[in-house]
Amino acid sequence: MRLAPLAAAVLLSVAACAPSSPSTPAQSQDKVTLSVWGWGPEENFDEMFAAYEKLNPGVDVDARSFTTSTEYDTILATGLAGDSGPDLAWLRAGPKIQPLVEAGRLLPLETADIPGLKDYDEDVLRSAKGDKDGKVYGVPFAVQTLQVIYNKKIFADNGLTPPQTWADMIAAAEKLKAEDIVPFAFGGKDDWMLPIVAGIFGTANWGGDAFLDDVRAKKKKFTDPAFVAGIDQLNKLRPYFPDHMTGVSYTDAQILFSSGKAAMFPGGLWELNFFTENAKDIDLGVFTPPAPGGGPGLMPGFTDGSYGINAKTKHKAEALKFAAWLASKEYGQLYTDTLRVFSAVPGVTPTDPLLKEVSTTFDKQGATYFMNEFAYGNPSSQTVFSKALQEMLLGRITAEEAAGQLDQSVATWL
Amino acid sequence: MAVSTTRRGSSHLFLIPAFLLYTLFVIYPLLTGLSYSVFTWKGTLRDTFAGFANYVHLLTGSFLDQLLPALGHNFLLFAGTMLVQNTLGLALALALSRARRGKRVLQTMFALPYLVNPLVIGYLWTLLLSPTFGPVNALLRGAGLDGLAMPWLGDPATALPTVIAITTWQWVGFPMLLFSAALGGIPQEYAEAATTDGANAWQVFWRITLPLLRPAMGTITILSFIGSMNTFALVYALGGSNGAPAGATDVLGLLFYRAAFASGDVNAMGTSSALAVLMFTFIFGSTLLLERVLRRKA
Repeated sequence: MRLAPLAAAVLLSVAACAPSSPSTPAQSQDKVTLSVWGWGPEENFDEMFAAYEKLNPGVDVDARSFTTSTEYDTILATGLAGDSGPDLAWLRAGPKIQPLVEAGRLLPLETADIPGLKDYDEDVLRSAKGDKDGKVYGVPFAVQTLQVIYNKKIFADNGLTPPQTWADMIAAAEKLKAEDIVPFAFGGKDDWMLPIVAGIFGTANWGGDAFLDDVRAKKKKFTDPAFVAGIDQLNKLRPYFPDHMTGVSYTDAQILFSSGKAAMFPGGLWELNFFTENAKDIDLGVFTPPAPGGGPGLMPGFTDGSYGINAKTKHKAEALKFAAWLASKEYGQLYTDTLRVFSAVPGVTPTDPLLKEVSTTFDKQGATYFMNEFAYGNPSSQTVFSKALQEMLLGRITAEEAAGQLDQSVATWL
Repeated sequence: MAVSTTRRGSSHLFLIPAFLLYTLFVIYPLLTGLSYSVFTWKGTLRDTFAGFANYVHLLTGSFLDQLLPALGHNFLLFAGTMLVQNTLGLALALALSRARRGKRVLQTMFALPYLVNPLVIGYLWTLLLSPTFGPVNALLRGAGLDGLAMPWLGDPATALPTVIAITTWQWVGFPMLLFSAALGGIPQEYAEAATTDGANAWQVFWRITLPLLRPAMGTITILSFIGSMNTFALVYALGGSNGAPAGATDVLGLLFYRAAFASGDVNAMGTSSALAVLMFTFIFGSTLLLERVLRRKA
C-alpha cells in the first residue's frame, strides 16, 4: 500500500513519455515541440501557450497537467532523473525545489538569456533560488496572498462593513453569531490550513518580514511574545469558528461559506476561483484583518511556483526563449486574466476588480507568509507546527508551547 | 521411498524461472531499498555513503517523537482489530453456520464493503461523520442523543476508536469467511457426541469448536497483524497525511509517506528508505515470531 503512490508516479511518468517523445520525422525539420509539465487545469495552459505558438510558428508547446499535488513532485523528480522529463516544468516554491537543484536537474537561469528576471522583486525571486548556490532556477509565475474573503450580501443584510479595527471585527463576528450565521468558515481537521489562518490573523502581531529575518539570523525565536500573541489570536477567535471545529474539514469549511451559512472565509487567493465556480450567486469581497493594536493589518503572501528548465533538455535555445517570454508582461497579463490569480511578473495589473483591490492592498500592506520560509527539515517544520496548532486548538497545549515546538523543529536545520 | 537424486535435480531445474522472477521483483527491490538507506541523497541523486546516519536520524530527536506514537497506534489498531473485528467475524460465522436459509446472501452482504477501496470507504465515512453536514450526527440529534453528536474524527480521544470501527465495518466479512470455511470443516459428529454426553451449547463451543478453529485463528491473527502494521489508505483518507487530529491517527505508513513524499527534504530518499527497511525488518521479524508462537500452541 505504501508503494502505491510511487508505483502510480512511475506509471504516470512512463505514460507521460509518449506525448513528449520526438516529433514525427516530417515535423522534426521545421517544428520544435517544447513539453511543459505543471499542475492545475490543462485547458488553461493550452489557452495561454497558444499565444506564444502564434508568435513563434516554429514552436509547438505541449502542456501536460497533473492534478494531484503531492504526486506531481514525485512524477517530476522521476521524469527529470530519467530521459522522460519535460523541457520545462512548474516548480514548487522554496524548500521543495532544493532536492531538484542539488541533484543538478535544473538549468541555472541568467539575466542574459531571460532579461525579465532583473525586474523581479528580490523576495519573489528568492523562492526560485538554490539555497546553497544562490542561483535562479525558475521564472516565478504566481503570487498568492492570504486574507479574509467575505460574503457581501450577508454583511449588508446585517449592516456590516469590512472592519477598520480589530474591535470592529470582533463586534461583527458577535453580531453574526447572534444571527446564527457562522462568522468564520474555518476547519481545523485538515491541519495544513492552520498555519495559513494563523498567518492571516497573526502576522500583524509579529510584524512580518523584520521578525522573520531576526529568526533567520537567530536574533529572535518563535517563542517571542509577539509571535505567541499572534498565534494566540486563533484561541481568542475560537468562539467565532464553527462548532466542533477540529472535526470540520477544509471542504466542509468551503461548503459552509459557499452555501451562505458562514459570512467569512479566511484563506488564500486561490479560493476565489473555487467560490466563483461553486457559489456563483455570492458577491465576494476581501479584507485584511486590522492590527489588534490599531491601524491596518498585514497581508501575508508567498510566491507560488516558477517555470524551470530541465538540465537535459534537447531544445535549450528554444526553452530559454520561451522562458524569456514567460518572464514578460505579456505572459503575466495572460496568466492573471486566464487563471484569476496574481502573476509574479512585476508591473502586471489584474483586470479583475477584486484582484485589483487585493493587489493594491498587497502593495501597501504585504508581508512574507512565515510558514513557507520555515518549511525545511524532515519531519518538516511545517508538519510539526501544523500539528502543534491543532493541539493548541484542542486545548491540549498553550500558544507558547506550540511556538516552542516550532522553535525546536526549526533548530534541527537552521 | 526417497526421491532419486536425478529427479530432485530436475525438480530444482523447474524452480529456476519462478526463482528468477522472485529475485527480480522481490529480492532485488528489497536489497535496493537497503542500499539506498545507507547513503545520503540529493533529491534522486545518490550522494555519499552515510553508514547508519539515516537510521540515527530516525531513532533520535523529533523523528523518534513521531515514530513511537505512530508505532503505538499500529499496535492499538491491531488490538482493536483482534478484539472487535475478529470476534465479531467469529460471531457472525457461528450465527450463519446455523442459518437455514439466506446464508449465501448474508455472507455476500457482510463481505461486500471489503470489495471497495479503503480510500473510497474513508472518504465516504468522513462525509458521514462530518460534524457540520454529516448525517450520522444529524441522526443522533434526531434520536435525542445530543451528547453523542460529536466530532468523531476531530477529537483525539475518539478518532482512533472510530478508525477501528470503520476498519471493522469494512473487513469483518474477511474473518467471517475464513471462520465459516473452518467451521464447515468440523465434523458434526463431535458436537453431537458431546451433546449426548450432556454438554451444553456453551461447553460445545468452548471445548470443541473453538480449539478446532485454532489454525484459522492463527492465520487470521497473522494477516490482521500485517494488515494493521501496513495500514495506510484508510487512515490517509480519514485523517490526512499528518494523522489528524493532532497525530491521534498517525501510523507508520503515514510517517513513511511524509518522510518520502511530503517533507521536501533533500535527503528524503535516504531517510524514507531507512524507515522502510526498519518497518520491513520489524514486521517480518514479528510475523515470524508470532507464527512460531501460534504454531506451538496449535
